Amino acid sequence: MLLSGLSRISPSTCYISNTIEGVTRITTVGEIDDNNVAEPLNTIQITEKAAGKVKQFAADKKMATFGLKVAVKGGGCSGLTYVLEIVDGPEADDKVIDSSGVEVYVPKKAFVFLAGTVLDFSDGLNGKGFEFTNPNAKRTCGCGTSFSV
Amino acid sequence: MVKQSQIQAIPTQLDALEDGSGMLRWTRTSIVEHSGPDALDLLHRLTTKELLSLPEGGTRRTVLTSDRGRVVDVFLVARTAVDQLLLVSDSDKPGRMISAIDYYTIIEEAELADRSDSHVRVTLVGPRSVSVVKSVLGFEPGLSTSSAVDFLGTSLFVFSDASRGVVWFDIVCPADVGDELAAAFNTAGSIPIDLEQFELFRIDHAIPGSDREYGEHANPIESGLLDLIDFDKGCYVGQEVIARLDAYDKVQRNLRVLESSAPIEPGTKLQFGSKPAGTVTSASSIRAGSGNFLALGLVRKAFAKHGTSLVVGDQQAVVR
Repeated sequence: MLLSGLSRISPSTCYISNTIEGVTRITTVGEIDDNNVAEPLNTIQITEKAAGKVKQFAADKKMATFGLKVAVKGGGCSGLTYVLEIVDGPEADDKVIDSSGVEVYVPKKAFVFLAGTVLDFSDGLNGKGFEFTNPNAKRTCGCGTSFSV
Repeated sequence: MVKQSQIQAIPTQLDALEDGSGMLRWTRTSIVEHSGPDALDLLHRLTTKELLSLPEGGTRRTVLTSDRGRVVDVFLVARTAVDQLLLVSDSDKPGRMISAIDYYTIIEEAELADRSDSHVRVTLVGPRSVSVVKSVLGFEPGLSTSSAVDFLGTSLFVFSDASRGVVWFDIVCPADVGDELAAAFNTAGSIPIDLEQFELFRIDHAIPGSDREYGEHANPIESGLLDLIDFDKGCYVGQEVIARLDAYDKVQRNLRVLESSAPIEPGTKLQFGSKPAGTVTSASSIRAGSGNFLALGLVRKAFAKHGTSLVVGDQQAVVR
């Protein structure tokens, strides 16, 4: 047994989850022997590029402490819409995930729709901004901001 | 069982709906309370009508569609208080609306409560209904308004709804005062309407009905609900599909009134020669004033022109 609450988020990385006072904190811990990895993709990752953009937005807002709230709400062409917001801390019902040096806060009710999602950032003139790759999404709308499961 | 041909048009009832005031008491309808600070915003994001501008005391009818653009339900949104909505649908299956909205309620602060058993709905139709409401409830309802009034010590709601093209008021009250309220409307001049007579009126006015013209089998444009879609409001569930149908003129069927010399069965297929031409969705078993029987059908566009003669079973029906 390597670590309690350890799970894999990609073939080469894993995370540790701890629940303290009702808040689940998940931290990416890097390469782990595959033989010791527990059950499956159960987190949200943000890429270095997306994390850099989040940090930049937070700096623009002059926020000393911040995190990225990632949620899902009803609506949008396909029924469910992604919500992104830079906030100063988690709410009581949020899962807290450390990824690429940014704390990601996910309401527990929304996590079921987002587990395994990778958040990237696409810039340039034809860039789409923040992009979600969500393994739970069966359909997405043209603009990519809404999906159905 | 009453044979179709034995049911007659009752002029007093039809005249009341057209020129006076007719009263329909729904045996089963959907009455759902939707409350909370996010309720209106959620419905705005889910349905076809722009709702964010709906004022307190206002009403607006909207369509909840699936992500494939099919109709889940059509309902009146009455904003009875800042964070309080009452949703009234013609569907006799309130669970359908509730489960669809509930499915999309994730992080929103919004609660749904089914009031379909504890409350009843009385609908007044016809131009004299304004004066009937005034006579019984003491106020003159405006256009697209929601009003809470006292009746026999009980609070009830009066909703005016212009979306069907006729003068239409829905009154929602606790079930135990339904009989007294209906009696008071009747005394004030509103004529009770039988369901068969109302069906004839509805078909004659091409008013789409729940699980007939609209439902999971149809999109809102072909169902005759175009006026309930705000094409400039932005995203809602099914918007991409519906916008594409409209923008590229891809709607395949239109809602049409059909006239025939004998009654038609709902569900009967329509044909133009040997070509499929659509389906009969509602049919009246009462001979209309013209001497013909009326039906509604979703008719393929190519055959939906006025005067087109279609084959229905072993008889003809003409597109009105």
